[in-house]
Amino acid sequence: MSPIKPRTAASVILAAWVSTSAPAAPRFANPLPAGQIPNVLTLPVPYPKGWVFLDYASDRIEIRDVGSDARAVKGQVQARDSTTLLVPDGRNEFYTADTVWSRFTRGTRTDYITVYDKKTLEPTGEIVLPGGKRALITAMQGMFEFTDHERLGLVFDFTPASSVTVVDLPGRKVLGSIDIPGCSLIFPSGERGFFTLCSSGTMLSLKLDAQGRVIDRAESARFNDLSDNPLFTSSTVIDGVRYFVTMRGDVQPIDGRAEIAKVLPSWPLVSPAERAAHWQPAGWQVVTSDGHDTLYVLMQANAHEGTQKDPSQEVWVYDVRSHRRIRRLHLVRPGASIALTHADQPLLVVQSYVASKKGGELGDGRIDVYDPRSGALLRSLNTPGFHTRMLIEPVR
Amino acid sequence: MANIDGLTEKMLRGFAARTSRRSLFGMLGGVLAGASSLPLLPVARAADAPDPAADPKSGQQPPVYSGNPQDPGNQASCDYWRYCAIDGSLCACYGGTVNACPPGTEMSPITWIGTCRNPADGRSYIVSYNDCCGGVLWGRCNCQRNEGDRPVVRPQNDNEITWCFGTKSQSYTCTVSIILGAAEPEVHPAHR
Repeated sequence: MSPIKPRTAASVILAAWVSTSAPAAPRFANPLPAGQIPNVLTLPVPYPKGWVFLDYASDRIEIRDVGSDARAVKGQVQARDSTTLLVPDGRNEFYTADTVWSRFTRGTRTDYITVYDKKTLEPTGEIVLPGGKRALITAMQGMFEFTDHERLGLVFDFTPASSVTVVDLPGRKVLGSIDIPGCSLIFPSGERGFFTLCSSGTMLSLKLDAQGRVIDRAESARFNDLSDNPLFTSSTVIDGVRYFVTMRGDVQPIDGRAEIAKVLPSWPLVSPAERAAHWQPAGWQVVTSDGHDTLYVLMQANAHEGTQKDPSQEVWVYDVRSHRRIRRLHLVRPGASIALTHADQPLLVVQSYVASKKGGELGDGRIDVYDPRSGALLRSLNTPGFHTRMLIEPVR
Repeated sequence: MANIDGLTEKMLRGFAARTSRRSLFGMLGGVLAGASSLPLLPVARAADAPDPAADPKSGQQPPVYSGNPQDPGNQASCDYWRYCAIDGSLCACYGGTVNACPPGTEMSPITWIGTCRNPADGRSYIVSYNDCCGGVLWGRCNCQRNEGDRPVVRPQNDNEITWCFGTKSQSYTCTVSIILGAAEPEVHPAHR
């Protein structure tokens, strides 16, 4: 911007004099104070536990206050393609994995991890991922995960050959790559390892050394019926056990306390009568928990082939020890993703949008915030311009 | 690229043929169950009602019809029968068609597969959803239909993946829907 020329400045002053020559409003004795330039906000660290990260997948990642009626956007970082997020508890930084092209949609491809400072949201580091193989898939759980106490970052690659890139996050360097042929996604297990779900219906567990090399592996028996009753890839962890739900309405726990994970017995979410009425889990991030003993699942009535990713009308709440349903929550708008905040009084955060089967123009979405005990709607947040799937990651 | 394309196409068609035998019963079962509980399919209703988008003053996406009574429906609308497992943008809204990528993009030879029932002839067809890559960023005529869609753990039936492989750019623009062939109607008793 060019500096103001003397002649222009004179006309501005004249205009100001003309506008102030009108009678002053007597209610306001003093003018508003002059603002400060430049003026850039920072965020409090640690973040309040009423905040969440909203991953708009291929647009932006937004930090939003869902815990107060202010409902404010607190900050955002840019996202480009299938962007995924990792937020450590123990460091004042967080990470996104993303992909860009040098000419926006063409040119040289770069896959990279950006290191952001939690307080300033400034990018303070970068780790370029080699090979142009990071999986470009709608952001979902299992694409970018920690292991080894948040030291190692694991990035899911798909070319369509499957592999995992192992990154030393504090060291800001790539350690290597692990082939996982026929398997997808990453679920951390034990101290330093992960399991992955395979197209044969099995699960492959891998134990790593400090350099990210495989030192042990084991494949489970087939348990995931990918044709008729597949596991949703969304999951939640309670006491080291990861809970998946299936398309037809079962819970499939997997014990991930040791690197070589174990498939535990499944149990039903629905009674025979409810199964006959086609109550099924449906949505995107379909399951969450309080981290102690209570499981929350998005449930859809009259579910059928093709509705498995549509928003659902209810959230059913279970005690994972007794396997009993303890509540049914009726949503004011069908929800596609759910998460529970980690505050002392947790809040149930539900992302909703209108699924279009016809026109292709989807309505603006909402973030609805509920009391998970009473099911009462507490507040509702706009998500302008957002039309599709989202991941919600509450602040820890 | 030509060799890779040819190889991939062979693999794809081989896969489609195997899929049609192995899982046709399940897929047909789903379709029949849906038909029995829904006396009027959305496509049938759409065919009967006048399409408001056809009005040149409507300001809506102009409809595209094949003109062939055996291939009914608006190919610029999510509810067109061949889009039964689509998740993405319709190329018919980007200067392409139901089975051709728009100019300036590149068609990925590696795809995901769906099985869709044609309401006109009652046949189920194996459909290849090829992504068109490297053009404008997607966002127009977005559709989410998930019949037969399965999690990424079975990638060939997953519509969340950007299927831009073997192309110069992997940036997604839109998706076309190409018939690979009619699914075989006979189901061997051993597969039931």
